[in-house]
Amino acid sequence: MLKQAWQRWLDRRLPRARQVQLDQRRIFIFPTGYGFLYLLVSVLLFFGGINYENNLILGLCFLMVSLFLVAILHTFRNLSGLSLRAGASRSGFVGGQGSVEVVLVAQRRPHRALWLRWLDQPAQEISVEPGEESALWLNLPLSRRGRVRPPRLRVESRYPLGLLRSWSLVSLDQVCLAWPRPQERHDCPADGGDRERQVASAGQSGSEEFQGLRGYVPGDSLGQVDWKGYARGRGLNVKLFEEPASGRLWLRYDRLEGVPVERRLSILCFWVQRLSRENRPFALALPGAELPPGQGEEQRLRALNLLARHGDTEAH
Amino acid sequence: MARIYQIPSHARGWLTLAIIAASLPQLWGGPLWQAGLLALVLGWRALMDRQRLVLPGRILRLVLLVATVGATFYSFGRLHGPEAGTALITSLFALKYLELVSKRDAYVLIVLGYFVCATILLFHRGPAMALYVIGCLILLTASLAGINYSDTHARRRQHLSVAAVMVLQALPLAIALFVLVPRIAPLWNMQLDSGQARTGMSDSMSPGQVSRLTESSELAFRVQFEGEPPPPRERYWRGLTYSYFDGTTWRQGSPPGWEREQLFYGGRGPSPDWYRALIDAAADRTGYRYRVIMEPSRQRWLYALAVPFTDFDGNALARDFRLVADGPVNGAFSYTVRSVDVTGAVPALGDAERRLMLDLPEEGNAQARALAQRWRQRHRNDGALVQAALGYFREQPFFYTLEPPRIAGDTVDEFLFGTRQGFCEHYASSFTFLMRAAGIPARVVAGYQGGEMNAGDYLQVRQYDAHAWAEVWLPGQGWVQVDPTAAVAPERVELGLRGAFESAADGAGGDFDGLNRLPVLFQLQQWADYVDFNWQKWVLGYRQQSQRDLLERLLGAVTPLRVGLALLGVVLVFSAVLGLLVLSRRRDTPVSPLEREFARLHRALAQRGLRAPDTVSAAQLEAAVTRRWPSAAGAAGHWRHLFEHLAYRDQGAPGAADLAALRRRRRAVLASLASPRRAQ
Repeated sequence: MLKQAWQRWLDRRLPRARQVQLDQRRIFIFPTGYGFLYLLVSVLLFFGGINYENNLILGLCFLMVSLFLVAILHTFRNLSGLSLRAGASRSGFVGGQGSVEVVLVAQRRPHRALWLRWLDQPAQEISVEPGEESALWLNLPLSRRGRVRPPRLRVESRYPLGLLRSWSLVSLDQVCLAWPRPQERHDCPADGGDRERQVASAGQSGSEEFQGLRGYVPGDSLGQVDWKGYARGRGLNVKLFEEPASGRLWLRYDRLEGVPVERRLSILCFWVQRLSRENRPFALALPGAELPPGQGEEQRLRALNLLARHGDTEAH
Repeated sequence: MARIYQIPSHARGWLTLAIIAASLPQLWGGPLWQAGLLALVLGWRALMDRQRLVLPGRILRLVLLVATVGATFYSFGRLHGPEAGTALITSLFALKYLELVSKRDAYVLIVLGYFVCATILLFHRGPAMALYVIGCLILLTASLAGINYSDTHARRRQHLSVAAVMVLQALPLAIALFVLVPRIAPLWNMQLDSGQARTGMSDSMSPGQVSRLTESSELAFRVQFEGEPPPPRERYWRGLTYSYFDGTTWRQGSPPGWEREQLFYGGRGPSPDWYRALIDAAADRTGYRYRVIMEPSRQRWLYALAVPFTDFDGNALARDFRLVADGPVNGAFSYTVRSVDVTGAVPALGDAERRLMLDLPEEGNAQARALAQRWRQRHRNDGALVQAALGYFREQPFFYTLEPPRIAGDTVDEFLFGTRQGFCEHYASSFTFLMRAAGIPARVVAGYQGGEMNAGDYLQVRQYDAHAWAEVWLPGQGWVQVDPTAAVAPERVELGLRGAFESAADGAGGDFDGLNRLPVLFQLQQWADYVDFNWQKWVLGYRQQSQRDLLERLLGAVTPLRVGLALLGVVLVFSAVLGLLVLSRRRDTPVSPLEREFARLHRALAQRGLRAPDTVSAAQLEAAVTRRWPSAAGAAGHWRHLFEHLAYRDQGAPGAADLAALRRRRRAVLASLASPRRAQ
């Protein structure tokens, strides 16, 4: 209840955005345990100075207290003015981890020893000097298929003296896609192609007719690279195989009648992975979405993203 | 979430330096094994950091700890008390450094460091040491900044500059807090160890045993007068009186059976007769008003001119016109006095008191007794007898010297009729003996005589100004001060001890403070003392009373509300000003010297009415200047040429000479705007 109220208050105060610059409204500050210890030491010195009637010890105590006040400003300053921008994101399978990139931009002043973390992930430390940009990839556990929004990112700093902790809870408008977790199933939910041969050929790729080589293009499956030729110094080439005569495989959602939705997607995912590993062309048909036939890493990602977004009402 | 914090290597240097700096004052005067321990720890640590040695095991560390505690006990005889405690905390500080692994250890170490800094200030209170401790604080802060910045790119110097900036920014508020935060009385009594012997007066006087006092030029106390100070020959700072003589030694004494209440008055309870008599006599006289700032003497005696009246703030007045502190003077201590010469106001001497002031040993010093009897027969009048005695000292061949021959046995006879060489103690002792033998109540007074003015502001009284003289009771006049030394060596009283020996041709004090005679050094010494005096007065001696006085002047009245508001106001103003300074954007913009030069011209032109956009280029700026002030075209062109050359050449950042040239050209541009005719 209290937690929900806190979250609502946070959402109102610090709304989600592509880019956030930290300012008074967004920065919280509080002494650390060491800060309290430091103040305790100052109080002890105060009593020491009073009891020994020693004005210099009192002076040291006042200087320490005053230094604490100065430290408040400096700790605040270390976060103030820092911009965080949503960067790229990497998708992953459910149960695994995706990651998102956060770009930190220091405009006028250095921001040192910043700790970034969310949930109970270990913090990552980073420093940004003025005029610089630094990017940080943060892991995001994926527990549910679909679009996953990262939780609030905690940006924290104790620099310079460690007496105080200043922090902000930033929520960047960023999305990470969680692909369905692949689930093995023996028969391929596909139309077209020679299903018998398909199954037979699984695991021993290259049973197709070898056609020749062409130059490697980024996105080609590494499994198809002619490594032997590369080792002999012939350059990076990809082996081409003749497509099966029976045409392309259409992985179809409809072919898994009676299976729950998530499981269907998981099975499709398994086959997308498997066909891609074998570098076989395929197409994907989901209700309301279709992926034309294709091949290679690019096709795989498109297929996985399509599976991840299945049933997602939110427009991308 | 377990994180292993390591101390970044760029922070370790500052930590090491902070430890050495904070321990140094203790090591300087402390037992040698402490220095050895620190050296061992530093050496071990250095080897550990180079992976030559491993962290000593738990058992070895325990052994070291026990050995340290044992050595402290061995050196100081105990573990509590400021000296032993300071030694212990300094050693533990070093030991903790040995097992420094995590960030947490570093925090503990730094907290210990603050305590070590505080212990330095327990024993060293000079301005130089205060600055030194601020230096230590900067080093500790630099260590903090270092351990909180675990980036490997961090540079060492960065931490120090961060720390120095922060400590300097903290200083103004610290000073304001120092002035404003109310001083409260000690909550419980913590006296510094008074076992250490200090030079100064002692509670007995044995003429014949040479006192070392006079050889010390240490400061005894300072006096600041309101108005004119008395002339040197009247500066008799009374400290204590000796009324009991056992044949060799004079001691303090009081009539048998007298209570404390009869002897002292501390402002509480009904005032005794003698105090009422004194205060009545002093009521319509001004006397001298002054403030005495004592150096720690570890004694309770305070010094003042005859018949001192105070506000009884930490002191009491004794029946024999001297002031006594409520406790030993261990730290800075000061008191305000009004002295009025009303020694005659005490109407009569009680029987017990008279007996005490006439008391002499049963026998011994027969010659002196006989001399006193002869004077008695010749002079019925006590005053005349005193004059006769002074005349005796003046006319007989007595010598004033700081190195008299040793005398034993009947010391008075030996001195009066034998050696005839001595200093104030000998004269005061024998004179008082003679007076008592002649039936005149007399006592010896010990204290200081003279003092030097520093910068016309205050008087310094040093240990070598220590003096002893006599007081005799004359009917109708009360206690009268008599200084037999003045009869023998008037210059001692007129010029002070230093003066007496400087003017002495026989070189009796040839090796006496030889350095002080060089005028330059003497002047320097006086300046140093002036600084020290104000330090004593405004920093060390800033106590409840002086705080009340100052705050009354600053705030009008000292009420908790006003002080609270002043404190709040100071903190708010400080935070606001510093906040603007620290958080202002303008200061953050990283600018090269060249950009700064550009901005200066830009600003100067804006002041003269030429508003150019912030993003203007050098060429555009030149064009704008030329359009507006055709006369400045040449100068502006020169400036632009050099600026572009420096900004776009390949040799890197411009040097100081280049920048100076650019600055000259900028001034030329501005000058040609101001006086178009000359530029043409």
